[in-house]
Amino acid sequence: MDREPTLRRKTALSYKTEEKTVMRGYSLSDMAEEGYSFYDAMFVLFQSRIPTQKEEKMLKYEMGVFLEHSMSPSAVGAIGVSAGRPNLPVCVAAAVSTFGGVHGPGAAHGYMLNKYLERGYKEGKTVDEMAKALVDDYLDNGTPVMGMGQPQHIDSDPRAEPIHLKQEELELEGVYLEFQRALEKYFHARRKADGRSYVGVNVVGSGNTALMEIGFSPNAGWCIGSVVRGFSCAAHALYNMKKGRAWGASRNEPMVQMIDLSMIKYVGPEDRIVPKQEERQEYAKKQKEEGEYKKWVI
Amino acid sequence: MGYLDQEKTDALNKLKRERGVGNLDSEKNPFDYHAREYGTMPQDNKRAPFQWVSEVSYKNVHRIVTRGYDTTELMEEGYGVIEVLFVDYQARIPTIEEEKMLNYVMIMMMEDGLSGPAAISRIVAKSKTFLTQACGASIMAFGHAYGAYSSFGNRLEDYIKRAELENITLNQAAKLLVQENGIDEALGVSCLMLKDPAAKRMIARAQKLGVAGVNIEFMTEVVKAAQGASSEPVDIDMLGATGAVMQDLGFTPEATWAILAITRSFGAGAHYIEEVEREELSRMGQQLSPKEDYDGPADRPVPPLKDREKVSKSAICKTPEEWKKRFEEMKGVMGSGFSIIEEVADPSKKSGMKKVGKL
Repeated sequence: MDREPTLRRKTALSYKTEEKTVMRGYSLSDMAEEGYSFYDAMFVLFQSRIPTQKEEKMLKYEMGVFLEHSMSPSAVGAIGVSAGRPNLPVCVAAAVSTFGGVHGPGAAHGYMLNKYLERGYKEGKTVDEMAKALVDDYLDNGTPVMGMGQPQHIDSDPRAEPIHLKQEELELEGVYLEFQRALEKYFHARRKADGRSYVGVNVVGSGNTALMEIGFSPNAGWCIGSVVRGFSCAAHALYNMKKGRAWGASRNEPMVQMIDLSMIKYVGPEDRIVPKQEERQEYAKKQKEEGEYKKWVI
Repeated sequence: MGYLDQEKTDALNKLKRERGVGNLDSEKNPFDYHAREYGTMPQDNKRAPFQWVSEVSYKNVHRIVTRGYDTTELMEEGYGVIEVLFVDYQARIPTIEEEKMLNYVMIMMMEDGLSGPAAISRIVAKSKTFLTQACGASIMAFGHAYGAYSSFGNRLEDYIKRAELENITLNQAAKLLVQENGIDEALGVSCLMLKDPAAKRMIARAQKLGVAGVNIEFMTEVVKAAQGASSEPVDIDMLGATGAVMQDLGFTPEATWAILAITRSFGAGAHYIEEVEREELSRMGQQLSPKEDYDGPADRPVPPLKDREKVSKSAICKTPEEWKKRFEEMKGVMGSGFSIIEEVADPSKKSGMKKVGKL
């Protein structure tokens, strides 16, 4: 049996021999036997260190609370993909891949905090001053502040403040929580002053703050968040694959299905005649000249 | 939008009928293509409106609930990812021993060096994507050979069931399994872990924690049967150990497949990061494929387009004999797909939930 690696790389993450698999110097089997937790292993993977107990508890809380979020883009993505009945991992891959610039933008939040912390460090400003600068910069430019607002949990994400509280209870307050708390303070004050409605902190704002505080980079934090959500999305896909109706359009179900024909609302160009090939060139030129098509270009 | 009104519909259809549109006026068509409606179907008011139906979870403005448990309350009470996996997939809180065992399995599954999931994550990373895209790709690397938990687990369950139905021992059922399927990639027994004790340690841990059940018992018999049937030394491997343990923890083969593929995706995320940090990005057209690795047709001139009919060869087979001959010939054309015979199965165990949504 060919046991050559699929890709040859110099790597500081792990090696695997016939005798053992070693991650950052620790044998995985020995870690498991010793009683370390899955959360501990995440610190070893991304930070090459064993965490303190409090850090381990914080990660356990953050990952656990983020795992399930019922119908969000990730679960809906998994369910949508499952309708065609591919292999289950494909549904999960789709779910994890939904995490981008808006859905669970953990890395974006992390980079935002780091950018302003770096600026404050260079300019000799306090964390509080930089949080205010961030809020002013973003709101002046009409840019959404990462970590604030959630379209479903309009009174503030039910997971968010408890994560902050857990971080404080575990005495894990550092620059990130100080920054995030200040950011929220100035954000609320600014919106109030502008006569705008209340927008609470979301789970990225609080959860990613905690992840950064316990030493994860923006991308490592993003990986932790988006991949842990995959667990629940797989359950949603599996439920639909095992108990739901394939394709999602059957007219034999008592409830209108996800992609029943009646679910389609079309707002595009009106029905029109397909030009014959001999009419095509003239037709196409006219269409370009008139330019009406431009309003439909996406 | 709904359907276009009848007058406009008739006018459009009349115009099209007069112009003719390809073969659409053929009598072989199942309905009259020039009498079709325009616009979208009106909303269906005879049935309940569409809703996302879930047994797994719900949320409202102030709460997220999985299988009846508020997720924030779960965390406040000291539970974590491991327990929520039991809640999500099995609608129950695990015992402490079960929690310890799943924790153990997930640590073992987090990283596997530069195998498929890590490699694909790195390849995706090189094209400058989001990390999440690479993590998603790594999950797709779990199929029916690498991380074959669905194939392995469903077969294990089938033979355990068969032992019950046919009133044969697990030892006999294990022998049948090996006889009928051979030592394939989904057996969980191979030459991969003859020097690495990790798989056997995992089984020992499950026994020590008191969570070992019929799957581990049966897997032990499968190992013996495979060792008896193989001319090479073989033993339980990570697929066999993790799969049997997960199923004794109550996870279905599909749940196991998903949970362990996702667990590996954390490791794949670290590989993405390291690839971006240490290696260069890849541009389209950058990679060369050495000619010495090529064993297709020798270089040949592209025939002038005007000679196309002279050099082209039709694939149309008029008889089953011609079809079979061509099929066999095409097996020699690597990359054509003719050498692959597979079942693309519908994994649904049941289709439809007719109880839900009645008005």
